Amino acid sequence: MRDVLNTSRRTVLKGGGALVAMGLGLHRAARAQEPRTTSAHQKQLYEAAKKEGELTWYTAHSDDVTAQALGRDFEAAFPGIKANVVRTTAQVAFQRVSQEIKAGAMQVDVLSSTDIGHYVYLKDKKLLEPYVPENASKVLDIYKGYDPDGYYHVTSAGLIGMGYNTEKLKAEEAPRNWTDLLDPKWKDKIAIGHPGFSGYVGTWAVTLRKLYGWEFFEKLAKNNPQVGRSINDTVTMLNAGERIVAATAPNGTLSQSAQKGNPLKMIFPPDGAVLIIAPSGIMKGTKHPNAARLFMEYLLTPEASKIWIGHFNESMRPEVAPPPGVTSAKDVKTIRPSVEEIATGIPEVIKQWRETFGV
Amino acid sequence: MTPVADVLAQPAARSLVRRLRFIEPSMILWLAMIAVLVFLIASPLVRLVVSSLQEPETGRLTLDNYRQAYGSLRHLQALLNSLELGVGVALLAGLFGVPIAWAVSRTDMPAKGLVRLMVLGAFITPPYLAAVGWILLAGPNAGWINKLWIAATGASQGIVNIYSMPGLILVVAITSFPYVFVFTNAALDLVSSEMEDAAHILGAGKWRTMFRVTLPLVLPAILGGLIISFLEAIALFGAPALIALPGRFQVVATQLWQFFEFPVRVEIAAAYAMPLLLITVALFWLQNRLLGRKGYASVGGKGGERRLIALGPWRWVMLGYAGFVCLLAVVLPMTVLLQAAFAKAWGRGFSLDNLTLRNFRYLLFEQTQAQQTIVNTFVYGGATAFAAIALALAIAYVVSRRLVPWTNVLTFLCMAPFVIPGIVLAIGFYAAYAPPPLALYGTGTIVVLAFVTRFLPIAYTSSAAGMRSISPEMEEAVRILGGGRLLAIRKVLAPLLKKNLAGAWILVFIPATRELSSAIFLVGPQTRVISVMLFDLSEEGNFEVLSALGVILLVVTVAIAAVGFRVIGRDFMLRRSA
Repeated sequence: MRDVLNTSRRTVLKGGGALVAMGLGLHRAARAQEPRTTSAHQKQLYEAAKKEGELTWYTAHSDDVTAQALGRDFEAAFPGIKANVVRTTAQVAFQRVSQEIKAGAMQVDVLSSTDIGHYVYLKDKKLLEPYVPENASKVLDIYKGYDPDGYYHVTSAGLIGMGYNTEKLKAEEAPRNWTDLLDPKWKDKIAIGHPGFSGYVGTWAVTLRKLYGWEFFEKLAKNNPQVGRSINDTVTMLNAGERIVAATAPNGTLSQSAQKGNPLKMIFPPDGAVLIIAPSGIMKGTKHPNAARLFMEYLLTPEASKIWIGHFNESMRPEVAPPPGVTSAKDVKTIRPSVEEIATGIPEVIKQWRETFGV
Repeated sequence: MTPVADVLAQPAARSLVRRLRFIEPSMILWLAMIAVLVFLIASPLVRLVVSSLQEPETGRLTLDNYRQAYGSLRHLQALLNSLELGVGVALLAGLFGVPIAWAVSRTDMPAKGLVRLMVLGAFITPPYLAAVGWILLAGPNAGWINKLWIAATGASQGIVNIYSMPGLILVVAITSFPYVFVFTNAALDLVSSEMEDAAHILGAGKWRTMFRVTLPLVLPAILGGLIISFLEAIALFGAPALIALPGRFQVVATQLWQFFEFPVRVEIAAAYAMPLLLITVALFWLQNRLLGRKGYASVGGKGGERRLIALGPWRWVMLGYAGFVCLLAVVLPMTVLLQAAFAKAWGRGFSLDNLTLRNFRYLLFEQTQAQQTIVNTFVYGGATAFAAIALALAIAYVVSRRLVPWTNVLTFLCMAPFVIPGIVLAIGFYAAYAPPPLALYGTGTIVVLAFVTRFLPIAYTSSAAGMRSISPEMEEAVRILGGGRLLAIRKVLAPLLKKNLAGAWILVFIPATRELSSAIFLVGPQTRVISVMLFDLSEEGNFEVLSALGVILLVVTVAIAAVGFRVIGRDFMLRRSA
């Protein structure tokens, strides 16, 4: 009996192992196609990058799902180069980068933060590798030329508005403008991200401090919002029914989730939705310089933009239009602080935030 | 060198060479082991203390780091919060662990095997997973318990809020009460019934006997368990990061993490870590004093009959209590974790159309990192277990055979990591070995080294116990017959200690696969482990994928441990199974 049991168990194990192997094999097979290079320059980069074999991308530009989809599409576009996609919030990504700088062991090749101040700092400390992708000239005009010296380039953009759970709240009861969040009726009902983690929330806080002063946050704290870390956490909180209103709702993640059937809706405040313009740059000391350059090119291709809009973020390229019915930056009033204001403002609001919210 | 000095040096050199000739080759190995120990334990600790006293740029002696670490009310409040957390956890873990240990060891409570299994379940659940489970259970509005409460009573608000100090205390207590259980249970198993009989003869009832005689006898063991729970609680990073932040309070570990934000301020983190280190050392000293006292002679393990106390109907009450604790610690959190892992959206509940394998498919095939992360976790766990045991065994051998002087220094070094909270150890390792000349940052080596250091005490305790049970005569026989020491170890000691070592391997492997706090500052993108990936994924609050990753971690760990226990024929407390 024992032997019978053992045999069958072993068979099951073997069978399971074979299935997993098959799954992996199929997956690999699906990825091994012809490269989709477009220009001689990119072909050249690709040949050199193949020898490097991989690259590591720290990204805060989107949720994990979108980031991994971009990584996988890059791998499909350039077979033989593995993309290691590590999605965290901007400040955590930068914390790891700082640790690597301090230890003198750069692990990351391309950094995509959402706190533009990081690039101002890194460029100033000569920690970025200048590279102007040929695709940089083909993006929409508003995203061109953020850094005249070509150390970093805008590779994604997104909107922050408010959001609410449509099952728990009727449209006419929902807040309309940012200042409506201060109404005591939202006590214990608001979800919010943390500027000490999320670059989106940091930029948002800088913008709203400019509009309404820090008193806005002191009053908001009285409504006892649930403080998460990533801005995307607010969407999860609304879905779970933990909170009803998101004070910081990322248009991309929320709309993606609503499309899947979750009861969610965006609010674009009349005072302006906050437009986040987020760059990427290559780190000095990268071990995969060609793969990193190729990846910078990739982030600005129409294919990448198609993935972005598929996940309800902004398109970088004029030839890729958002699908009908999807709100993008040109449809609503947007506001954004200057690079200078963000670079000095985010460290300040993080400090103020910690005093006001206690964490 | 001047000619005079040259002449003077010569005979000394010659005698050194002559002496070296008499050193056995194995001696060099021992010396290497000791060097490794210094490298692993002493050097990061010294580095930690030194950097807390240095100006980062100039290296000049300063107290400024301490001023910055303690110069803010918020930082002091975090210290107080950690103390509150530690005391709360210790008390609650005692409340959970002691009665169950007593019932299992001394009474005729039914279903003891099941209760033991549940305690084992609580033992292998990492605190951060328990935290995820309890967020799903007791989120103030969406948690299952609160939703049921609102549905049942029509109340407008839930009754429990996990995002609070009591919530955090509960989560940490349910993962650390097994320490209290194991300590108390082991001590109770040694108390004979004679004392209890005496109390009965003198007219004391069952309960009076328990409170006045039995429990005081094992008090030192209980206190030992409480101290471990306290230390676990104040050193923990994962569960507080998930619960304290939305609860709007900080503890020491989360505050330490903040010092690693840009700009990285290792020196302030080091200064801020000192109280954690001091409290731990002080408590271990206290525990040693308590356990070392000789006033508890009845716990001698010798003689005496042990009979189970017949509880009558009360045994069902005890079982009910044990069941309640296991419900809180294992059944409820595991149920909701499993539900979330296989759910499209966990909030939609238990229904067939909510079932999916999507979360697993996402992790295993769509995520670019999860496959490698899972492999890393178990490779590092296994490597850690092998390395820690090899090192511990060598040291235990040197100590028990007194091959070198100062063996108690070796023992002390081996046990020292026990008093270093994981996150503090990581800071020490980062400061000492991340930068050049070793430049280990981002390598698997630094992760394994930190894990080996962290779990060396477990490996050492097991190895030393095994070593004590083997008399040197057998290896002396080998040596008389011309075999060297290494041959004796390979052919005699290792086979004799096989089961001991396999048990120790599992005891190191399990915590190494789930370790978060000492990994958090040391992993790079290629060397991430599941615990860190869980932490990163938790930023977005995506509990379905998070739960799926947790389920993978638990299933693989339990499978490997179960195979191991089957092989050595013992359970997790290394009792021989009947």
